[in-house]
Amino acid sequence: MDTLTKLGILGDAAKYDVSCSSSGSDRKNTKDGLGSGYKAGICHSWSDDGRCISLLKILLTNKCMYNCVYCVNRATNDIPRASFTPGEVIDLVMNFYRRNYIEGLFLSSAVEKSPDHTMEQMLEVVKKLRIEYKFNGYIHLKAIPGADMTLIAQSGLYVDRMSINIELPSSQGLKLLAPQKEKQSILKPMKYISSQIIEKSEERRLSRRAVPFVPAGQSTQLIVGATPDHDLNILTLSENLYKRFNLKRVFYSAYVPVSSNPLLPALKQPPLLREHRIYQADWLLRFYGFSANELLDETHQDFDMSLDPKCDWALRNIHLFPVEINRVDYEMLLRIPGIGVKSAQRIVRARRVCQLSYDDLKKIGVVLKRARYFITCRGKYYGGISLNQPAIRDCLLLGSNERIPRQDTWEQLSLFSNTFSLNTTSLTPVYNSAD
Amino acid sequence: MINYIYDGSFEGLLTAIHEAFYRRENPAGIFSAHNLQTNLLDSNIYVSTDILKYEKVQKAIIEKISSQSLQDLFYVFLSENINAGTWIYRYLKLGFRMGCKVESFLTDETVHIINKTSQRVLREYHRMLGLLRFKLIAGNVYYAAFRPDNNIVALLAPHFEERLPMHNWIIHDVKRNLSAVYDCSSWVLTDMEISPDINLDDKENDYNGLWKQYFKSIAIESRRNPRLQKNFMPKRYWDFLPEKQP
Repeated sequence: MDTLTKLGILGDAAKYDVSCSSSGSDRKNTKDGLGSGYKAGICHSWSDDGRCISLLKILLTNKCMYNCVYCVNRATNDIPRASFTPGEVIDLVMNFYRRNYIEGLFLSSAVEKSPDHTMEQMLEVVKKLRIEYKFNGYIHLKAIPGADMTLIAQSGLYVDRMSINIELPSSQGLKLLAPQKEKQSILKPMKYISSQIIEKSEERRLSRRAVPFVPAGQSTQLIVGATPDHDLNILTLSENLYKRFNLKRVFYSAYVPVSSNPLLPALKQPPLLREHRIYQADWLLRFYGFSANELLDETHQDFDMSLDPKCDWALRNIHLFPVEINRVDYEMLLRIPGIGVKSAQRIVRARRVCQLSYDDLKKIGVVLKRARYFITCRGKYYGGISLNQPAIRDCLLLGSNERIPRQDTWEQLSLFSNTFSLNTTSLTPVYNSAD
Repeated sequence: MINYIYDGSFEGLLTAIHEAFYRRENPAGIFSAHNLQTNLLDSNIYVSTDILKYEKVQKAIIEKISSQSLQDLFYVFLSENINAGTWIYRYLKLGFRMGCKVESFLTDETVHIINKTSQRVLREYHRMLGLLRFKLIAGNVYYAAFRPDNNIVALLAPHFEERLPMHNWIIHDVKRNLSAVYDCSSWVLTDMEISPDINLDDKENDYNGLWKQYFKSIAIESRRNPRLQKNFMPKRYWDFLPEKQP
């Protein structure tokens, strides 16, 4: 089989692993090497599904001994199978890298013969790339659940990021859909990698010559929609993973129906909006200081599809608003819908020089369409309607700049009435008075 | 109304700024000779570049404001916007009075336009780090052509010098006919002519084909979203991307 065909098969097989980041590494090049890290990561292209391509993401082989129900590479699935030789992978990486197609390699694999055997094969590729071919670009390596810890420890010295996919957010899901995989075989290496990262970075603080271990950290993936788990379960699991294992990222992959097994939900389309809401919540956990049980609780365990989680939280906590933009602290600024991390930082910065006016906020990058209902500026409220939850909710959902008030304040206009019955201070007229 | 005209270089711009402060003529605008629009009502005064004056202004910016501001102003210069010189002049008038606090004065019109423009240049630079595509041509040289909105060739060269130290490469800005050329030891900026028909190395088509295959395989069909793709990767960059060629 030629390399082109193999690449078609093994690139296709790897696409459900959605991790796309090339960030977190500032690996320097050597005078005789190829490549370097770039801390913020670089996106080289975007595929036809809109996702960023920054690494050559392939499986070393798709010949798998397991039969996980949700996976396209499961043993009983009738698809073409292929394996790369280490030489083929290295040739692809080096030549793609020279042409600036990629930041580096993302190497995963189906489990062939045994977890240890698979891990050894992957380690061989990565070691060769670094030592023989002096490649200093980004390498993301998957750790195989069940592989020996010494293999994982060795691999960590050559790569920038390691990850193990949890995939199924609950043990019931795991037992049902991937009975050959054990929960412990996934969590144990994650714990090991996380403790090694801490230990080795301590060593590096003491001696610059200590080799970095997985400098860009660990990540994992959860499938959304393959099991009946609620968003609350998924989010709580992520929160714990961030806290306990210091993960850099949790990725969420909307379940793409690849098999018609009765154990799996009969979805026509992958649940993209749900995945999007969970990503928004994940950002709130990591950058906005929220905790999972603030966003969801026992009474509502799933996200509202029509509103983003931050607006939803703000409406349920409307008693905290409005807040005065010129006085409120940074932590609360982050909680205002329409204000992101950058805008919040800019507000704090600009406040030191002068008091902010409502027009200034637009320059700063605040999304006033949402924020106006939750803030005052120099004491004045620009929301235009009374601060109650249902009214604001309607306005947010409408997403337009016109304020459409609730049904009970409408009045049938007649040709003979001179005024609108609504508060007209800054309302763009909704009705033509000639109606 | 008086305008100062400089020769189009950053040194020329800072010389014009020096003159604007010291001659006390308070010019209405500062424009580059390259994209000058003549106006019957304005009188244009040409300022000849003086390296000593340029260094004096550069030092003043770093000391009185900050080196971050100097970098931002340089990015604004690279945007080649017709009003870049005038904006920079106004920013410095404000900056020399306020000191480094001017950088936090985000609500001011002048500061805002400087920030917005320098962010735009930086964003294109970052995007180009990813979108630049090399191809191996006869003579063992990696050649990359692109058409950026802003003049960023000189910003890109050091990045690729670090990444590809053992290969000859050329980064060619087709719009401005400006190239960074690297010969395994150092790089230079040149405006030499490069003909559009270039002989590719024999294996180039193979790697081109492999990349196109990979690009096709990696997309999940049920998540197809051409609008999102165009959002991140505007169509105007597609000319030089092999994955977007038929």
